[in-house]
Amino acid sequence: MSMGLLYGDELSGFSRSRVMLVLWVGMPVLALLLHALQPSLEGAMSLTVFSMLVVTTMASTIAAAMLSVGIIHEKTRGVYSLFLVRPVKRRSLLLAKFFAVFSCVAVAAIFTLGVGVLYDFARGVVPGAAVLRELAKSAATGFANIAIASSAAILIGVLAPSVVVGVILVIYGANQISVLGYVPVLLNLEPAWVFALAIGCFVSILLLTLAVAVFNRRQL
Amino acid sequence: MPPQKIVARFENVHKSYAGVRALNGITFDLRQGEVFGFIGPNGAGKTTTMKVLVGLLTDFTGALTVNGLAMPGHRDSLYPMVGYMPQGIAFQEWRTVDHALTTFGRLSGMSAAALRERIPRVLEEVGLAEARARKVIHLSGGMVQKLGLAQALLHEPAILVLDEPVAGLDPVSRMQVKAILSSLRNRGATVIFSSHILSDVQDVADRVGIIGSGTMLTVGTLAELKSRFSVNDDIEIVLSWDAGNWTDLRSAPGVLSLDRDAGGVLLLHVSPGADVDATAHEVLSRLINSGNRVRSFHPAVPSLDQLYLKYIGEGVHP
Repeated sequence: MSMGLLYGDELSGFSRSRVMLVLWVGMPVLALLLHALQPSLEGAMSLTVFSMLVVTTMASTIAAAMLSVGIIHEKTRGVYSLFLVRPVKRRSLLLAKFFAVFSCVAVAAIFTLGVGVLYDFARGVVPGAAVLRELAKSAATGFANIAIASSAAILIGVLAPSVVVGVILVIYGANQISVLGYVPVLLNLEPAWVFALAIGCFVSILLLTLAVAVFNRRQL
Repeated sequence: MPPQKIVARFENVHKSYAGVRALNGITFDLRQGEVFGFIGPNGAGKTTTMKVLVGLLTDFTGALTVNGLAMPGHRDSLYPMVGYMPQGIAFQEWRTVDHALTTFGRLSGMSAAALRERIPRVLEEVGLAEARARKVIHLSGGMVQKLGLAQALLHEPAILVLDEPVAGLDPVSRMQVKAILSSLRNRGATVIFSSHILSDVQDVADRVGIIGSGTMLTVGTLAELKSRFSVNDDIEIVLSWDAGNWTDLRSAPGVLSLDRDAGGVLLLHVSPGADVDATAHEVLSRLINSGNRVRSFHPAVPSLDQLYLKYIGEGVHP
């Protein structure tokens, strides 16, 4: 019961946060702006594909930063003790955050993509089968990146003693490790989207398990 | 008066943090329907004791039983029994007061219907009814404290563990909290609370425990503590007219010493073994015969502040 309740709460909290507002509105706007300001892209790359590029580079970093800062902040202020004097598993606190942020960022990413597709469609650019296949591959890679970066951020949030350390670790750690999702593309493994999702799931589960193990040993 | 049921018992509980000993064989019990004031200097082990009691710290040695159940083994049974307000309480800032209480109530197993009825009552009780829709980030420090108290009271637990519940509150809010503690006692709940404001502890606590360096130095009612501490009989004298020639009281039979505080109150220490009544009679006679006017003349009763200073400041252990 507590996991569902916490997930709903965190989802509600994240979805209304300023950072998420930036993601909901900022990512599509940024994709449109960057696409418009890069004349060399006209004709060479549709906004659909360009949006995917923006999503995969921005969303995972933002998700990771949000998560780790949130956890460090709450941990150092002693927020969790009020949950842990009730029948709440420590892992539920972390997993609820992970799934909430992943859901929010994934929806923001899908929304950005949707804006790109609509924009292209309005301009008479109908993505062909090859482009859509590429898009699916990119989307799978993007979601794998977001999942890996988010789970790494959870681990960083549990381990880091301060927000500054957490942010540095996210930028130089979570962000770098999230490129594991690109490995199938780089190695030309087919179908790349399946491998990307498999890697995303495996690494995320591994990092989350580590985070839960560390969190269970922490004195709060 | 029938003996009160013991609801929690610490027996020789030790707890260390990275080699630093926080609790050093602490032993005491909590009785049903009492307000237990827990005092001691910073770092003495109050918060650690409370965290052990509520199940936040489980890697301790020694024995802790709550309602006869050994902890931390029966922690699942502990949750509904205990309400906890930690020191320096904090909430997720994006929640509203109502949202925070709803979540904690649901996590404590309360139904939505029960919460609809209970939340307004508990907010009224702590004086936070008007802030129900406000976000935590927009609350003052004192209001966050009250919300902390509200979440602890919400599921009507049998044991309330409150770590510095009056810290940072204005005088009116402090009185409100003290009234809540008294009403909890009347309902039969057990309350343990820590505070550095000793007058508050003196006002509401049925028993007081003084902790120092992870050890319970003494436990008892205020009267018991005073009787244990009372080595000498002291007499407090207030003069309405001070003729200035009272120094010869020091030579009166049975008088050990005589002090005068900044407020002009004379404190006369009677020698151990001396006849207090005879000494008092002699002193009073000399005062009047010397032209002084005596407004009051009574046995000095040490305050909790004085007892605390004796136990902690001077390391006196009876």
